[in-house]
Amino acid sequence: MASETGESVRPQRAYIPWDDLPVNRETVAGFGTVLPVIVLYLLIAVLPVAFAFWASLHDIHTLNPVWEWAGIDNYAQVLEISMFWGSLWRGIVYMVGSTLIQLAVGLWMALVLNRITRGQKLLTAVVFTAYLIPTIIVSLIALRVFDPQGGVFQMLGAEWFSLWDANQAPLGSQTWAMPLLILIGTWKFSVFITIFTLAQLRAIPNRFYEAAKVCGANRWQMFRDITLPRLTGIILVVVLLRSIFMFNKFDIIWQLTRGGPGNATTTLPVLAYKTVYTDQAYGLANAISVVMFLFLLVGAIGYFLVFNPSEEVETTA
Amino acid sequence: MSQSEPPGGLFGLSYDRESELFETLKLVSTGIIVLIGVWPIYWMTQLAFTEYEVVERTVSVFPTPELFTFSNFAILTEPKMYTYIFNTTVVAIGTIITVVVVSLVAGYGLARLEFPQKENFARILLIGYLFSPIVIGIPLYQIWRTLGLLGARVGLIIALSAISMPFAVWLMWKYIMTIPEAHEEAAWVDGASRWRGFRDVVVPQCRPAIIAAALFAFAIAWNDFTFAEILLPATDTTTFAPGVLREMGQSQFLPDAYLMAVSLAMTLPPLLFAYFMQSYLLKGFQVRAL
Repeated sequence: MASETGESVRPQRAYIPWDDLPVNRETVAGFGTVLPVIVLYLLIAVLPVAFAFWASLHDIHTLNPVWEWAGIDNYAQVLEISMFWGSLWRGIVYMVGSTLIQLAVGLWMALVLNRITRGQKLLTAVVFTAYLIPTIIVSLIALRVFDPQGGVFQMLGAEWFSLWDANQAPLGSQTWAMPLLILIGTWKFSVFITIFTLAQLRAIPNRFYEAAKVCGANRWQMFRDITLPRLTGIILVVVLLRSIFMFNKFDIIWQLTRGGPGNATTTLPVLAYKTVYTDQAYGLANAISVVMFLFLLVGAIGYFLVFNPSEEVETTA
Repeated sequence: MSQSEPPGGLFGLSYDRESELFETLKLVSTGIIVLIGVWPIYWMTQLAFTEYEVVERTVSVFPTPELFTFSNFAILTEPKMYTYIFNTTVVAIGTIITVVVVSLVAGYGLARLEFPQKENFARILLIGYLFSPIVIGIPLYQIWRTLGLLGARVGLIIALSAISMPFAVWLMWKYIMTIPEAHEEAAWVDGASRWRGFRDVVVPQCRPAIIAAALFAFAIAWNDFTFAEILLPATDTTTFAPGVLREMGQSQFLPDAYLMAVSLAMTLPPLLFAYFMQSYLLKGFQVRAL
């Protein structure tokens, strides 16, 4: 964009010693602007992951700082423990189930919120609040309404639908813990998809629809030919992000069930956390988290190869 | 467009019938959204205003005058709860400021300055989202302990800022790309420096993206449980989420009505943000895809 008017209008400044360096001043300034990002990134992503990898090659008791070299023993152990494969499987169930339901609910909410005329602002605010309030509060409310003592959902489920016994806590039952975790997560995280989709919907000019109407298109055709193409790019991105986030989800699971009952809701992040703080095996826990990361990396690369959500970069702006 | 011929409807329905069907569907959908969106918040609110003994025993749908009470909110002034909420607020504000400043500068650099590998840099940043908070948090515990940041709010702010960063940078980059560079060039012609151009021309126009990034950072910080749980073991710096969970584990009796009262207090700021900032927020998120 800058080339249209040439470089000459760019501000000139007095002589600075690094003008003599063999690099362009703009390159230095450019790297300068992203330097804080790089520092933070190194500190919080690269360093911890390198550390995790290094730690995963040692036997470490969480409370005892002595590191004993173990080589790949931890990895062999990770793949051997039956908990690992079970947790991986439960994690995939949780991730796929959550993402699909969230996508459906999120899209539907965005389409409706975009079209209603009365109370739109208020309803949108309330829906967005679900994403912004602390997860712990969602958990507290959920624990409350599914509590056998005066919990309204527990009561409805028991008395109206006979899903569980009157004095049974559904979050503590092998059958219900996982589905409920998925549903409670859906309440909060669908909104993430709603926000992005709604932003895209707002950006579609109304004249597109008016033109389509003149040409005799019905609502389905308008949706298929105008709305959907505008949404695909962002849908591919949010599905990727949501899958990753749900696979990595620790907080809401820990708060609601602590991985229980038994191991019914123990996914890989929960297993890693338990390994550090319950089993005190710091090295093994790091091995689990490295394996987790590798799974996601492979998954994400696969997703990029199949759908290429970054294709849109070129068409932006 | 009433003057045009009404087009044929869906499923062989006439256009008017189709519109009717659509309106009904919309109404039903709105009803369901109100129910699932508003209901939990209503439920929390009504429990917060009901006598706690009643909450423990029965289901009350609406606090009748004899059950209605403000006394549950007394828990907000309890030193521990007060500290938790205060810490959460400090961490949230710190994270927002860090994220907005850093992402604005980096976004400007990516959009306006030429340097090698910048596209790849922005993409690599997003790989950061593959790291689970657990994957990062467990090693970070040791690293922060070595650096002396364990149990410090600053440590948590750094961690949360770094988590919100890739997305905020990407958002800001894409948003600044949509602002014509000619605006700055006009300022440069008038003798403004690049910094002046950035400050007086770009930043004011970035308001939607700044608000979107700030809200995203706020959601991350206000929401955070995992990092706070791992990185803030001390009581006087603990934030709300892990604090309240530990309280529940430790105290024999922490009435649900009290918890709902605290929850309501923690829900109000997000609700106000969502109400007053939503048009900016949606505008900020209008950038397309990665």
